Amino acid sequence: VALTAAKGVLRVQLQCKNLHEYLKELSPEILDRLYNHPATCLAVYRELPPLAKNYVMRMLFLDQPLPQAAVALWVKKDSEKDHDQCVSVLSGLRLWHSQQLQGGLQGNILNPVFKDNLRIALLGGGKSWADQGDSLGPDRHARDVESLDKYALERWEVVLHFMVGCPSAAVSQDLSQLLIQAGLMRTEAGDAPCITSAGFQFLLLDTASQLWYFTLQYLNTAQTRGMDLVEILSFLFQLSFSTLGRDYSVEGMSESLLTFLQHLREFGLVFQRKRKSRRYYPTRLAITLSAGVSANSSSTAMGATPGTGDSGFIVVETNYRLYAYTNSELQIALVALFSECLYRFPNVVVAQVTRESVQQAIANGITAQQILHFLRTRAHPVMLKQNPVLPPTITDQIRLWELERDRLQFSEGEHKYGLYLQCIYSLCLSFILQGLGCLVWQNVAHRVIVVSPQGHGEVKRFWKRQKSHT
Amino acid sequence: MMMASEDEVSLLVIVVDVNPIWWGQQANREPQFTLSKCLDAVMVMGNSHLVMTRTNKLAIIASHCQESHFLYPCKLWKFGDGHGDENASTSGDGKYELLSVANDFIAEEIKNLMSRTEVKGNQTDTLLAGSLAKALCYIHRVAKELEAGQEMKSRILVVKAAEDCALQYMNFMNVIFAAQKQACDITGGLYLKIPQKIALAQYLLWVFLPDSDQRSQLVLPPPVHVDYRAACFCHRNLIEIGYVCSVCLSIFCNFSPICTTCETAFKIPLPQVVKSKKKKLKPST
Repeated sequence: VALTAAKGVLRVQLQCKNLHEYLKELSPEILDRLYNHPATCLAVYRELPPLAKNYVMRMLFLDQPLPQAAVALWVKKDSEKDHDQCVSVLSGLRLWHSQQLQGGLQGNILNPVFKDNLRIALLGGGKSWADQGDSLGPDRHARDVESLDKYALERWEVVLHFMVGCPSAAVSQDLSQLLIQAGLMRTEAGDAPCITSAGFQFLLLDTASQLWYFTLQYLNTAQTRGMDLVEILSFLFQLSFSTLGRDYSVEGMSESLLTFLQHLREFGLVFQRKRKSRRYYPTRLAITLSAGVSANSSSTAMGATPGTGDSGFIVVETNYRLYAYTNSELQIALVALFSECLYRFPNVVVAQVTRESVQQAIANGITAQQILHFLRTRAHPVMLKQNPVLPPTITDQIRLWELERDRLQFSEGEHKYGLYLQCIYSLCLSFILQGLGCLVWQNVAHRVIVVSPQGHGEVKRFWKRQKSHT
Repeated sequence: MMMASEDEVSLLVIVVDVNPIWWGQQANREPQFTLSKCLDAVMVMGNSHLVMTRTNKLAIIASHCQESHFLYPCKLWKFGDGHGDENASTSGDGKYELLSVANDFIAEEIKNLMSRTEVKGNQTDTLLAGSLAKALCYIHRVAKELEAGQEMKSRILVVKAAEDCALQYMNFMNVIFAAQKQACDITGGLYLKIPQKIALAQYLLWVFLPDSDQRSQLVLPPPVHVDYRAACFCHRNLIEIGYVCSVCLSIFCNFSPICTTCETAFKIPLPQVVKSKKKKLKPST
């Protein structure tokens, strides 16, 4: 969570790194260890720009380095910028190295660990990712996809309900601690935790982005819990490539991994009948985790994953009326964050998006972009058929309301008034303008000068000197 | 450069020529490149395509002399998913599960296909135009079953073994014109004759894996001279000069007074009578 002091007003902006940004911050040793698992290689590969994916595929089956000049010839003349971008992405992630060829030319070769593991993922061989549960036989209490979806949704909504402050939602100590560490909630001496401005913004994201953000926070605290970052990250990627509706065995998982599994159970990413069960089922949330990984890619990404309750239920009309076809308390609370609820029926809530309600939300730290993203990702299928999804009047107006707040800029300043004589006023002014650079505002008619706090000391001294002269 | 959005589905349909007579002869000619090696290369290509993006879809059709059969996906599976029988045991190795299931299924299907069809005669051509038509129908069906807000790009890759057969010309042209109406990107197609068959996988991955966006960025083999000669409708011979019916545009090598396709009658052209012009004598001054 980054804190930006924008024009004197503190606004907490929720920033979520995507997978590549996260990986680039890891040390080279950890990266190389990470690439030792086919699932990680697949996940990283999928996040590459399309041209880079083709490069990797071409070099995947080569055992010799290729001259850099030859690789540069792969693209047409007007795509050279894309080529350079690919080169920097691939080098930044340590996916390929420079190697000198015989004859002195510089060549490129894929990171051997990455290459071997991607080949295994593509063609086979190597170790199995996890015990496929065949040894356990069929599950007598097997769960089908629908009940898994329901379970995942329930568990994740409990977390969100807890954030909004519903008294009925109870989460474990670990989880509330994690929320506080993530900056989504804060707690004052002994009180129950309450939501922060970043938390509001988090609530408006789509489920996949929320999960990914949460996961990143969890990974950051992994070291302090004594967990091996590489182990749990590999397991997460493995989960994201598993098959929905299939059970997997916990055979061969280490202690810390089993603890991690329990945490995942609480977030709704896996289902286990009992804590000591030998098998678990990944839910749709785990599998779409990789979809949230590219959360920053484009604001038009639909993000609505079926079965997670995100399937669209909001209709927005050009008269600023909003119809939310839901009776979930959580969704209604979210809609009420930025609109005024007018009527509530058993299956629909009618709300109005007004200037006051939007500016209230913005005062809480939510941006217009987040509101629009929320509306787009929860858009009713009827809305999805039109292009653009949201009426342009609404999107423009919400943005304008946000900009209205920025019409006034606040800067801190020290007020200097009462410069009785015009000559003293102009003397002060010329002194300030000469080199101090701390002038904030001046008014000739009233002989008022406002300077910034930093310059106040200097100007005061100058003023005292002048006073003693005249 | 924007990453491909998650709501864009890219469908690749691979049509493979599995004529058993041609492949049988091939086994004698070049024992190191057999049908199973060819299918291995095709499966590598299919795997690579599926791995590229979560929303990529794949279909493989085997073009046989008596039928066109879908090697992947299976009709019984839930649409588009690679999930087969949930109790199917996996390969037990490091291959991505989805690919394991797909590859095993393809191998089973081709074995069944080759063993159940009885081959008669020694024709080396297959029902390629029919397979293309099936591919187009499949693409159309997938396009109709997309979720709201999703867009689809599709392409067909044809791996052809035997030489061309002029008998199928008309069917081919029909299929291609149908495809042109369905998907405008057919004009961005690529043709490659592979000099070294054993390196099929490399050619597939280097030349045919990139989709239409990336093709505009990469340097790919230039277009090859295409034999644009049409086949006449009466004998199926390739001709360079012929007669075209002005109503239905069917092509004939010899003039006939009635077009066999649309049954329009044409008058036989008679030589025109030229009136002689009287030359005006210039008055001499």
